[in-house]
Amino acid sequence: MEMLIKLFPGIGSLFVQDPVIAGSRIVLIVLGFVLAYYGYKRTLEPLIMVPMGIGMICINASVLFLANGQTGTLFLDPLISDPNQLMNIMQVNFLQPIYNFTFSNSLVACMVFLGVGAMCEIGFIVANPWVSIIIAIFAEAGTFATLILGVWLGLAPNEAIAVASIGGADGPMVLFTSLMAAPDLFVPISVIAYLYLSLTYAGYPWIVKWMVPKKYRAMDIIADMPEVSKKSKFIFIVISCGVLCLLLPMGGPLIMSFFLGMAIKESGIVPYQELVENTVLYMATLLLGLLLGCLCEASTLLNGKVFIIVALGIFALAVSGVVGVIGGWVVYWFKGGKNFNPVVGIAGVSCVPSTAKIAQHAAEDENPFAVVLPVAMGANVAGVIVSAVACGVLISTIDMIMK
Amino acid sequence: MGVVAYAGMAYGLTAVISLAVIGLIVIMDKVMGKGNTEDEGGTDE
Repeated sequence: MEMLIKLFPGIGSLFVQDPVIAGSRIVLIVLGFVLAYYGYKRTLEPLIMVPMGIGMICINASVLFLANGQTGTLFLDPLISDPNQLMNIMQVNFLQPIYNFTFSNSLVACMVFLGVGAMCEIGFIVANPWVSIIIAIFAEAGTFATLILGVWLGLAPNEAIAVASIGGADGPMVLFTSLMAAPDLFVPISVIAYLYLSLTYAGYPWIVKWMVPKKYRAMDIIADMPEVSKKSKFIFIVISCGVLCLLLPMGGPLIMSFFLGMAIKESGIVPYQELVENTVLYMATLLLGLLLGCLCEASTLLNGKVFIIVALGIFALAVSGVVGVIGGWVVYWFKGGKNFNPVVGIAGVSCVPSTAKIAQHAAEDENPFAVVLPVAMGANVAGVIVSAVACGVLISTIDMIMK
Repeated sequence: MGVVAYAGMAYGLTAVISLAVIGLIVIMDKVMGKGNTEDEGGTDE
């Protein structure tokens, strides 16, 4: 038996480890398969779920016996902070350098944001500035409601802030905020956030159908898209970026990445645009998915607070979606019920461009000629800006609630 | 500071800063007269 355990340590370690850890490993291997499969089927976001599922399977299957008699893997160890240990482990664990130099310092989140910025069109906001931002402010409500609920459920304020960032429905933002506010919990928070964000595409259409009756969903919006020159858009982007960095230095890295992406697009620097939209964005997304999967090791994830985070994550996204649609209704009533479709409210949740597509599909299902996408994209891009502002505000003011 | 007051303050601050940024964009848009003049940095199609 001992010989077999040594020969197949991945299986043998299951008999040696704590039964809870061993059982969790098996559950996570099965979950990894489910995520990768549904990513393949396009039910979940394939760009994240395929690498994440495979990472999750491999990290929990490839457990071996280390020299000191403990169990571990040759992938990465997120809990090491001692510089000497880190230098040693970097020469063994193949993903450790990528984790330390791109993930734990939020570089990967900023790279994703750079790519997202390069795909965003500020012209949609310029076309409907007030409508876009008001809907986006409504759709940020989940963040602040979750912060209150998190503290009531017993999380420390910094932990509640980190979990609450899921309400912004923006993966890089969750990663950045949780690393800044609660580094000890950022693994479960990021994993749960990305899982839920993949599910928004399935869940949000139900919220829209529940909150907006059929006859309103069918309403078309005649959008007047004003001509805005690239020069004007470039100047808006640069000035907005400078002002936001001046106001919220803690959110500076994310703000700079997002606006730099938009500035590259408007500058028409084709080689940079191709680099950022394709290579940087997809490379960062692949690393993000893979590292998130490899962080789903049973011993890392098993934390008493995980169940609270699971509940709060779904609460945050649900509140943001519901209040976003309420924002859509407020704008509809404010406009006197003319030329506006309340389904646009869901697009204030900054999951670019998924929630804008959800709004368009909801309208299109009832009226094949209804076009709400330009207005929804404005709310969507405004949602990213409001999420970045919320992230900066929460991180900058964290001391006020920690006292 | 209580958590409800803090959350309210943070939400309010987020809203004010976001509205200010959009206000800035609207003012710039008006000042620049929605001009279509281009320089060598970008091209309109």
